[in-house]
Amino acid sequence: MFNLPETHFHFGGDEYIYAEISREMRIESNFKALAITKELRKKEIPGVVDIVSANSSYLVRYNPDIISAKNLLDCLKDIDLTKSDPKKLHFSARIIEIPAWYDDPVSRECSYRFRNRNPEPELSNFEFVMKANHFADKEEFIEYHSGTPYLITMVGFLPGTAWHFPLGQEPFEVLQAPKYHSPRTETPERCIGTGGAFNVIYPVNGPGSYQLIGRAAVPMFDPKGQLTDLKETAFLARPGDIWKYRPVNESEYHQIMREVEAGEYRLKIKEFTFSPLEYMEKGKQYIREFMEDF
Amino acid sequence: MIEVIDSGLWTTVQDMGRHGQYHLGVPPSGAADRYSYMIGNLLVGNPENSAGLEMTLIGGEFMFRKNYIIALTGAPMEAYLNNKPISFWEVHQVQEGDRLKLKACKIGVKSYLCIAGGIDVPDVMGSKSTYELSRIGGYQGRKLQAGDKICINEPLFETSPRVGKSIPAGYIPAFTDFQELRVTMGITGYLMNDMALKTFLNSEWTVSHESDRVAYRYKGPKVSFSEMPPFGAGNSFSNVVDIAYPIGAVLFTNEEELIVLQKDGTTGGGFITIGTVISQDLDIIAQSRPQSKCRFIAVTIDQAIQARIERRQKLETLYQML
Repeated sequence: MFNLPETHFHFGGDEYIYAEISREMRIESNFKALAITKELRKKEIPGVVDIVSANSSYLVRYNPDIISAKNLLDCLKDIDLTKSDPKKLHFSARIIEIPAWYDDPVSRECSYRFRNRNPEPELSNFEFVMKANHFADKEEFIEYHSGTPYLITMVGFLPGTAWHFPLGQEPFEVLQAPKYHSPRTETPERCIGTGGAFNVIYPVNGPGSYQLIGRAAVPMFDPKGQLTDLKETAFLARPGDIWKYRPVNESEYHQIMREVEAGEYRLKIKEFTFSPLEYMEKGKQYIREFMEDF
Repeated sequence: MIEVIDSGLWTTVQDMGRHGQYHLGVPPSGAADRYSYMIGNLLVGNPENSAGLEMTLIGGEFMFRKNYIIALTGAPMEAYLNNKPISFWEVHQVQEGDRLKLKACKIGVKSYLCIAGGIDVPDVMGSKSTYELSRIGGYQGRKLQAGDKICINEPLFETSPRVGKSIPAGYIPAFTDFQELRVTMGITGYLMNDMALKTFLNSEWTVSHESDRVAYRYKGPKVSFSEMPPFGAGNSFSNVVDIAYPIGAVLFTNEEELIVLQKDGTTGGGFITIGTVISQDLDIIAQSRPQSKCRFIAVTIDQAIQARIERRQKLETLYQML
């Protein structure tokens, strides 16, 4: 697909097979990972326990007492070859709006508390990411960061954490940031982090090593089932979904939080069928088309 | 019902683990030393997947509110039933009102209390295992506390004829302070050069105190990375484009620290992953104490599968014997 290199397969102990589509991050590698994992799920191969689509790779966990490692490998190689036609590839996606308070006091306080683990301790994480990407103006940075939709290219780390990668940008246009030297032991829930070329939103308080640039007003994890839009799995994140940030100010952030706590908040969501082929052919124009009525 | 008088150091409900949720970032969890846990269930006549209690270093104290058939396996904690010593790896009958007290173990880390019928807590995402980071499963999603009351299912069949049966010494793990851990090499080891690989395989590694059900950390020699990370990975030499990690993944967080992911592990990330410890040897890791040492041995997939078959045969032999 899209002239991707040959996939490399590795055994991970006796229960996993790891497939590397490309070493570097390429959006087409992610489309391929989504396509293959979708096909694998459909096949319902006995002995396959877990199927995980990742940024530019995928992972399969299996029970070798039921399917032999080598048979499964042959099967994966076969799917890898046959699912490489971009014309046949499309997947259903949801576009979800994430209201975000950029450079909020909680993220700033957390940057300060763990400053010694960061390459430039005298800067807040937000200032550090601005500087690393040559921004001098805060509003300009916020506009750039929230201006493009992001594709969820992987879910993992802690339950409900979604890596998302900007759509429609050339590598040189993508915001990037170094990660912490040594991970923070704490990250307040809903903080938005940038590391490498990816963003994440931390679903629960936990460790982390991405630079914190703001805070989402909506939860990523809803164990009590309070919000209608998170009822299905208790997690908001789903691989292949598209997230779009909308900057909000302090008062709107608190307003949304109150509605979330009352269980009344509804996320802005649009469902559509994403076509990687159209995306690759039309690029930014395709994004404008599917974002037009959002 | 069993009442928790003292919850010990870190006691959770575990079973064989949670499957099919990894793509949401939910790790398998389940008994850290699966071999000891499975033998516990075997002894009391439970199905393989019945939930039991996993205790850590110091077990605590429990009062039985009914007559039960129980077995203790895993790290040999100093154990007393109504102040009389009680043996591990053997089936015991306990009476209503009996108190089981488990003090510290001198070797090993994890001990298991299996009860005929198994622990009755709700299935969450298909398993009774506790995953504490997200408060999923087990007893209210957390480790036990004094005062907790744990319900036990009725056994599937009459189990009292098993009382007194025990496991032969040859089937009991050794709980040594030096381990050889078998690893299949690969995943994202491409950022390491040959020298670094040799250092990894030829050195002794020491378990650090920051080791738990999420990850075991090891200190050892400095391992140098020389290649440039690919686009999207960040600028550190130990970073790759984030992947989904296998449980058992051997990661380098920096040039002086190595991590082996355990059953509550973070399911993905961008640290260099040079290989994966085979599933049988994760049991050995779970029983290794801080400051104990290990060496990593590279094996092929065939050797990994062979190790798995050997353990399965061992358990089947035990099943026949009991």
